[in-house]
Amino acid sequence: MGDPTVFGIEQKSESFEPSAVDESRLRKPPPKYPGLRMFRRNKAAVFGAILLIVILFITFVLPLFFDGERTERVGGIHLAPGAEGSTMFGTDYLGRDVGRIVMEGGSATLKVAGLAALVIVGLGTTIGALAGYYGGWVDNVLMRITEFFQVLPGLLFAIVIVALYGASTKTIVLAIGLIAWPTIARLVRAEFLRQKNLEYVKAARAIGANDARIIFKTIMPNTLPVVIVQSTLVMGSAILFEAGLAFLGLSNPKDLSWGFYIGANRNYFLSNWWGVTFPGLMIFFTVLSLSLIGDGLQDAVNPKLRGR
Amino acid sequence: MVSSEKPLLSVQGLTVTFDGFTAVSELSFDLFEGQTLAIVGESGSGKSVTALSIMRLVTLGTRAKIAEGELNFRMPDGSIIDLVKADEAQMRDIRGNQISMIFQEPLTSLNPVYTTGNQVIEAIRLHQDLDKEQAHQRALEVFQRVRIPEPEERLKEYPHQMSGGMRQRVMIAMALSCDPTVLIADEPTTALDVTIQAQILGLMRTLQNETGAAVIMITHDMGVVAEVADDIVVMRNSKLVETGTVYEVFEDPKEPYTKALLASIPRLGSMTGKSRPELFDLVEMEPGA
Repeated sequence: MGDPTVFGIEQKSESFEPSAVDESRLRKPPPKYPGLRMFRRNKAAVFGAILLIVILFITFVLPLFFDGERTERVGGIHLAPGAEGSTMFGTDYLGRDVGRIVMEGGSATLKVAGLAALVIVGLGTTIGALAGYYGGWVDNVLMRITEFFQVLPGLLFAIVIVALYGASTKTIVLAIGLIAWPTIARLVRAEFLRQKNLEYVKAARAIGANDARIIFKTIMPNTLPVVIVQSTLVMGSAILFEAGLAFLGLSNPKDLSWGFYIGANRNYFLSNWWGVTFPGLMIFFTVLSLSLIGDGLQDAVNPKLRGR
Repeated sequence: MVSSEKPLLSVQGLTVTFDGFTAVSELSFDLFEGQTLAIVGESGSGKSVTALSIMRLVTLGTRAKIAEGELNFRMPDGSIIDLVKADEAQMRDIRGNQISMIFQEPLTSLNPVYTTGNQVIEAIRLHQDLDKEQAHQRALEVFQRVRIPEPEERLKEYPHQMSGGMRQRVMIAMALSCDPTVLIADEPTTALDVTIQAQILGLMRTLQNETGAAVIMITHDMGVVAEVADDIVVMRNSKLVETGTVYEVFEDPKEPYTKALLASIPRLGSMTGKSRPELFDLVEMEPGA
């Protein structure tokens, strides 16, 4: 029996035998964590992340290796860094070790900034989502409120609140939260306005989802990329606000946070530069690291920039 | 259709307006169990608005209003509900559960941040009292039913990892996951290429035979109508032009607009014997004629 013919073309039977699979032509699994790859490609963002890790280490882990209170006197007053009888970072107007105070001062600042960022993101996303999703009069009312908070002189408003209700962590967090949420709210509102008419939202309605479900389970995850990026930036500005308030003395003096310590040392800073420089540098590097990270996240979560 | 049978969905004098502009005007038709009804018409003729009105999705987030008419829907227990007057909670229960909808753009009608399996499971759990494991099992069943190869793996994939035809199958799977009695397909094949169109249409017909659901197919493609529909409703400028069975309408269109619509499809073989393709006459129609 010869080979079969199809349309007059002889079909070679051996050609039907499966050839060895060429591994290189098989579909490769998509690269894992493409976002992480994009983030890593942004050198500045990686630097920012390392910087933040170092700062967190200094603030939360390093103090565990030291004994005694940081407010104890260690030597003479106003001793320059490295001077005889002084410490690595010098001593302040009470003879305390500047290095140790700055080391632990970050915990108060970071705690306040972190909590404030939570308030800001929580308030901002909720109000933005409701305004964008429902539109109409809900949008109108919420946006007028947002604008009200946006045109308030932020620091002044925070000062008034803290002055009225006392400088506890709670009031400082709320004060910072109240002045900074409008940015996020507007951003989330814009995302909701854009997404609520997309087909997949219509499809979610068509399977019988209610409003709450559509807002929080359908649309919200799609707005997370912008929210995450923005919240790192918001955290940076929360740190600046906290430092500003503390500098003016509007913080818990027992915390000895960076801003408060700069304020305490400012009377002597012409002769004692180390008292204000080291806490200042910590604030600077913390805010810098957060905005570098935010920049890198922007690349990581934006699929259009991938493969660039 | 047997006229003595009670209709599953009876649209009576449906009028939908947008800020005074009438998008659908006094539309009436009946839909019976197991029937495929095609609503055809050009862009802006009101066919999609009709579909969205049946789901009562047209009034959400737009200024549209169902001004008049009744949408009498027969529930599985035999009671009749007017969808125009039903409250929102009732509508949510009906959507997806009794009446499902497939959209035009399979590329955008799935949520990009969830796996397809997750989305189908969510749809199932919205209406059925099943735990995660049972819902997963059910999702696997519907994926198999819409002939998705390797359903177990596909359940774990995100929409962007799938082709357009595959995504439309997922949409159909989602729409069928709660065994609806009416399936509304709003131009389900427009965004797909011709071979996939044929596949999806074939699939929908098979599924209809299997489930016995009634289908409202919204399209502007007469080829699709001839392929799948039992009955046809021709719409133009928000009004019903002509209705009847596909055979009646294709065989002997009564209205000039229907004739023009049918004549707009070039016939296979109409250029035989000619040395090169020739222009054919465009049908000129006065608006409202």
